[in-house]
Amino acid sequence: MAVVTLGNGKTGTSHAATDRAARVGACLVRARNGQTAALGEIVRELNPLLWHVARGEGLGAEESADVVQTIWLELVRRLDEIRSPQALTSWLVTAVRREAWRVQGLSRRQAPDGAEQLESVPDPDPGPGERLLTDERDQILWRHVQLLPERCRKLLRIVAHVPRPDYAAVAEALGMPVGSIGPTRGRCLARLREMLRADPGWSP
Amino acid sequence: MTSSADQPLDDDDLAVLRRLAEVYALLDPPPADLDERVWFAITLGELDAEVARLSEELTVGSGARGSERTRTITFDGDSRAVMITIAERADGLVRIDGWLAPAAALRVELRLPEPAQPRIVTADTAGRFALDGVPHGIAQLLVHPAADDASPRVVTPAFTL
Repeated sequence: MAVVTLGNGKTGTSHAATDRAARVGACLVRARNGQTAALGEIVRELNPLLWHVARGEGLGAEESADVVQTIWLELVRRLDEIRSPQALTSWLVTAVRREAWRVQGLSRRQAPDGAEQLESVPDPDPGPGERLLTDERDQILWRHVQLLPERCRKLLRIVAHVPRPDYAAVAEALGMPVGSIGPTRGRCLARLREMLRADPGWSP
Repeated sequence: MTSSADQPLDDDDLAVLRRLAEVYALLDPPPADLDERVWFAITLGELDAEVARLSEELTVGSGARGSERTRTITFDGDSRAVMITIAERADGLVRIDGWLAPAAALRVELRLPEPAQPRIVTADTAGRFALDGVPHGIAQLLVHPAADDASPRVVTPAFTL
């Protein structure tokens, strides 16, 4: 797909963003009125993101699933705190990270104390499953991703799963810079792009 | 084309991120029943319940035959902890032995997906309870307060039996 200019990209994005915000906003209103079942659609949409946030913090599969569920339960109790559809995703991401740190702290008997934790938790190894990557571009991409610093792998793992309209809010919650006209590429993605560009086998 | 960090995201960035999400979906997918578990837990619709969080899970025995395996799960709430041991029965059902700490003779409810009816038992004064002949699948435990106690119910996250 050809690179489009920023102007075109922005038009499409804000349209999609408005649609999504309206849809998510309607679900939140119904949930606040006691119809928690209205959250089902949002759960399905955001669960992969939240799962990878927990996994990225080094939790095991069962622990991650549990942390994700705990945070949804917590959300149901705090729906009044969610001011906007965009705020929902960043609230969930932040809450899952905190809960993952808490669970990590329990299992390590030491409490994490903030963003430094990003550097100190080992990236969970997805295992010997790379044979599962049959597409050559997937293999090339994964090879380069593994060469990135751990902090970047963890960040991109999250960013890759963020719904586009929520990108800026989540980036801000993660301490990533956001430009005046919207989310920027950031150092980690810029680095990955450079690596991919230098690989003759790569095409996006 | 530039790849500098302070440039806005372009379509190629988004294509890379989309592909990366697909790679993660292949290498490390969420459990197949994660959506269902979350859905089951939040549709309890109990906004003021106290959530007992999973604090430990241990599996003992690793035989291919289920009867050789038991799982122990501990849930910690602010007011009470619930520990359960799940044992496989030969007939494909499971037996749950549980303890409440601090011990109290409270009603313990095992919530199952509809149309199954919830199973309700009362713990003994040592806080022990048992639920036998339970089918595999998603479940959630609720500990009811004593009749004269206005505290909220304690609910665990949904777990898979």
